[in-house]
Amino acid sequence: MAKHSSGEAGDSGRSLARRDFLKRGSLAGILGMVGGQQVMGLELRPPSRPTYSRLDGSERIACGVIGFGEWGREISATLGRIETARIAAICDTFPVMLQRASRSVPDAATQAEYRRVLDDPEIQVVFVATPTHLHRGIVIAALEAGKHVYCEMPLAHTIEDAQAIARAAKSANRQIFQVGLSYRSNPQHREVFQFIRSGALGRATAARAQWHGKQSWRRASATSERERELNWRLDSNISLGLIGEIGVHQLDTADWIYQGLPRAVTGAGQLIYWKDGRRVPDTIQAIFEYPSDVRLTYNATLTNSFDGEYDMFYGTDGTIMMRDSKAWLFKEVDAPVLGWEVYARKDRFYRESGIALVADATQLEAQGIDPTVDDPNVETPLFYALEEFLDNALRGPFPPSAGYKAGYDATVVAIRANEAVTGNRRLTFDQSVFDAVT
Amino acid sequence: MSQIRLACAAMATRFELVLEGDDPSRLRAAGEEALAGVRRLEAKLSFFRPTSEIGRINAFAAERPVRVDGEVFDLLLRAERYHRETAGAFDVTVGSLMRYWRSASAAGTVPDAALIEEARLRVGMELVELDVAGRSVRFARPGVLIDLGAIGKGYAVEQAMLLLRELGVGCALLHGGTSTVQALGRPVQGGVWRVALEYPGVGANGGEEHLLSIVELRDVALSVSKVTGRVFTAGGVTYGHVVDPRLGWPVQGALLAAVVSPSATEADALSTALLTLGPAGHAAVTARRPAAPMLVLGGEAPHGPYRLVTRGLPVRRSALLEAVEELPPGA
Repeated sequence: MAKHSSGEAGDSGRSLARRDFLKRGSLAGILGMVGGQQVMGLELRPPSRPTYSRLDGSERIACGVIGFGEWGREISATLGRIETARIAAICDTFPVMLQRASRSVPDAATQAEYRRVLDDPEIQVVFVATPTHLHRGIVIAALEAGKHVYCEMPLAHTIEDAQAIARAAKSANRQIFQVGLSYRSNPQHREVFQFIRSGALGRATAARAQWHGKQSWRRASATSERERELNWRLDSNISLGLIGEIGVHQLDTADWIYQGLPRAVTGAGQLIYWKDGRRVPDTIQAIFEYPSDVRLTYNATLTNSFDGEYDMFYGTDGTIMMRDSKAWLFKEVDAPVLGWEVYARKDRFYRESGIALVADATQLEAQGIDPTVDDPNVETPLFYALEEFLDNALRGPFPPSAGYKAGYDATVVAIRANEAVTGNRRLTFDQSVFDAVT
Repeated sequence: MSQIRLACAAMATRFELVLEGDDPSRLRAAGEEALAGVRRLEAKLSFFRPTSEIGRINAFAAERPVRVDGEVFDLLLRAERYHRETAGAFDVTVGSLMRYWRSASAAGTVPDAALIEEARLRVGMELVELDVAGRSVRFARPGVLIDLGAIGKGYAVEQAMLLLRELGVGCALLHGGTSTVQALGRPVQGGVWRVALEYPGVGANGGEEHLLSIVELRDVALSVSKVTGRVFTAGGVTYGHVVDPRLGWPVQGALLAAVVSPSATEADALSTALLTLGPAGHAAVTARRPAAPMLVLGGEAPHGPYRLVTRGLPVRRSALLEAVEELPPGA
């Protein structure tokens, strides 16, 4: 199970020498050495790190979690580990979920009606983790109630709803609105982003991403009425399918890294295995056309779990693979020598040797942690995203890593891509739709 | 009637789930959610993942209080209670000892006794401060390591079964690596879920004559702890993978222990404690749980001869069984 030995870092002379080198040769330093280009126009700020300082009760932010399904529970569990958060209320329309809520967060009030959460003046921030098609009403009401809002992705299942949410968020300019594109707050993704922008892959030529899982995507419940509500992802009238509900996060990574939106998408979808009455495809392919002729190929399926989820970015000098919040560089043999890679950790992937790209290598070094082993400080992308959001609510406003515009653009891409997939066709993106929200 | 079988790899073993009912897609959906929960727990509880809640506690709790999520905190409170109720025979702070014994097992040599003595100073639930108000964990000294290996699978089984019940499943059987198994309802075809225990030192499916007991389960869990399975021999002595937290050395004198309980978590913890206490010391567990069916099989070698203490579990006699003590129910 342990992929790498996690023994304590010995203070042998060899390890000190290596650490000393890493201190000088960490990615941050390398970017300077190779003349990493300045990245313009980005909503970037230094990644926030867990501080674990003790706070008295008054400094904790009262949070409301709306929607206590799988993801709402994940949000709630993550908030439980963030010092600045206090979950004051949990809302779900299903009593069983509220029973679970009181088991896992006994101090929180449980509400069946989200208005009750919004009417509570003590609650400053809300997390919206309901089915996608219910976001609009809740988010707009929450913004009107003066709450800071963290809304899961995709924003909505229609462009009209997505616009309504984005515009409401824009005009509520004293409140923080962050969307669940959590990779944008993830130090590992940021590091890779900077690394690619520094030109380390040479000329960018292609990208490939996949999500493979073997699961029916169906949900069970004790009552059939509830089951219909729960299985909104299988209802083609309101579901954006695999590309929208899962792919949206990976597609956004490509938009982010390529610093642009795709111009066209060709999609295909098949229902091959889970023929239980649904119409939403269980296997999809999509090819996105980016400016400068780079294409992203995306595959997702519910029929096979091989290789799980990953994102690959290819260039003339190398390839970067991102998976499980980790990243590796695979260099072409004729690529320029970076210098530090001889000392970095390498992992074998069949015949290839991947150079592990470690976020914050310098900081790790300062804490006495060997950057070549897995870092116990590493949190999930969701943790960093929620921490950033709460920090922003407490000390901001700063521009969020993933604000309404990023959320809107990614949602438009997802909605159109789903049209291409379900229609088995190519369609071009209408720039004016993206421009409708600025 | 439909039967659905699902499996997942988690916690360094295989979890298998059988569900029975009318609607196969509903059963599968419920089973998938339950097994997804097992994997989620693995990510929280793993000793080997630095990013798990346990990994984080082990890395930082000696320096500062580490805030953990409510579920992990509650599980640690339960672990503390089982420690108290078993006179220290169950102890999740066995991590630093396990680390030495794991390398020892890999190398096939016994660790240096001085190392073990030194590691023992870092074992003991009293070294773990659980702050209920702050929901944080702090170690009283550096080097303490929490390893939930003796309770994690049971907890995962228990939570998965709770979920299945919530989802309206009436009939299911789930096991984690064949060490903890829980049954829900009765098989649709009639009868009751039956689980067989074999005498130790027998390969899988050793045949009828190797059966130690057949346990009938209805809405309860059975957990089995054995020293065999993962063992190594050094200097003519066979060492198992269960380490006695009170002594620092692998359990000797007991080969197998089994406990039935409505809670899979409790069954898992108590079967480990019972194996550690052995046939001579079982009273620390059995007296506190007078209603729990259990057995503990003692012996020096996996192939017998054996001594057995049992309460409420049927036993198949073997020629190798030298002594049997049957405790009356409620003893």
